[in-house]
Amino acid sequence: MPATRLRSLQALGIFCGFAAGAWLGGAEAPIKLVNPDISPITVSLIMVFGVFLARWSVPAFIRGTSHVHSDVRQAPHLIVWAVLAGCMWAVANTLTIYAIRNVGLSIAFPLWNTNSLLGIFWGFLLFNELHYAGWKRWLGVLGGAACMFYGAALLAIASAHQAAPGKATAGILAALGAGILWGTMYIPYRKAYLTGMNPLSFITFFTVGELATMTVLAIAYRGATPLWHELIGAKSVMFWLMLGGFVWVLGDLFQQYATKYVGISRGIPLSNTNQLWGLLWGIFVFHELRGGSHTIYVQVAGGSLLMALGALSIALSSATAREHSSWQDAADREGNRYGIEHEYVRAGMEGRAYGGISTGRSFVDWLLILVTTVMFAILAFMAKLPHMDIALGWAAALTIAMLALLATCGIALWRTTRFR
Amino acid sequence: MSPSKADAPRNLFRAIFTDLHFWIPLIVLLAGLVLLDKLR
Repeated sequence: MPATRLRSLQALGIFCGFAAGAWLGGAEAPIKLVNPDISPITVSLIMVFGVFLARWSVPAFIRGTSHVHSDVRQAPHLIVWAVLAGCMWAVANTLTIYAIRNVGLSIAFPLWNTNSLLGIFWGFLLFNELHYAGWKRWLGVLGGAACMFYGAALLAIASAHQAAPGKATAGILAALGAGILWGTMYIPYRKAYLTGMNPLSFITFFTVGELATMTVLAIAYRGATPLWHELIGAKSVMFWLMLGGFVWVLGDLFQQYATKYVGISRGIPLSNTNQLWGLLWGIFVFHELRGGSHTIYVQVAGGSLLMALGALSIALSSATAREHSSWQDAADREGNRYGIEHEYVRAGMEGRAYGGISTGRSFVDWLLILVTTVMFAILAFMAKLPHMDIALGWAAALTIAMLALLATCGIALWRTTRFR
Repeated sequence: MSPSKADAPRNLFRAIFTDLHFWIPLIVLLAGLVLLDKLR
């Protein structure tokens, strides 16, 4: 790959990592509008409904599902990987509910954020990431991830509202379990992108595992009839939860592109800046730290600064040509194992076209977009805005910032790779 | 259907099941489910 192309793909991946942080963090905002009486499992299930709709309609809107079909023909084994990753996500997400309930957000969040450290480990061990990277890049990535971990811990302590005593061990185990599941979930991600699969194709199968596992867990834990009654009772907040899921998918899509172009060792820590964005929404829009002590504000300022410095350090440690060539060795190994055409793998890694895929959208694509739009419109019509003290000016400002990132990163992805 | 085409799914699953990268996430997923069951 020419050096200029490698540089532009690396810059694109880092940009996607930051955009992912903004959108993943912003996804927390609609969920804050929901009555806390609804069970966390049901909240999670409704969000996953929104996620499912988004994961099929967004790819249909951006490129059309014909590309998904084409990708699957080239690398059918990745369906298994995507579904497996989706199952892992659903179990991890459910564990976080138990973690927050038992030890509070302050302890749980930094514990499951260890997923990025595990991601670095798997990236190095299995996919040749950080090989021949030199000590400066090692220091940049590991030091940056450590900075972000401590920053996350400070922010979580400052923003903690609840802590249930007496169940510490269970909560810590749940949080660590979620971190291990999410950190290991990046193995299928990296596997897919090294082999040339488009993130828009991967997420359509990922969500099948996600929805199936979440549905089974919800029925097993709540019982079919009580769950149904709870879903019916939650119709006035369904819009907000599904909107949260939709926003989350856009963030996750950027995270997938970041993983594809800068690997899991850099992409995941960068998208973990979502905690900073979640905090911005919490402080400015929902007045969460109003009247807090001086110590809390010092923790927030220190934690934010550490997270920003960590992200900057990782962003400045992009892969060299030598490291990238070792990624290509890992990609060749995958291609040989699964009998995938060499040119398909190379084209995927370089973000360029492969073969004569028909462009444009089919009737099925328009139907997916229409069904999703109509469903959201109906739910919006039924939705009620709770009586909360919300700073609408700040909400508008943060939404504009997120949309600006969506537009600029989307244009960059289109110009550089045509969303490949 | 040619023999190579007919063997394709079997070869595919053999490639997946003999891949260490498949077993690591699967074992972690199963352990996660066990943990979740214990925490209920």
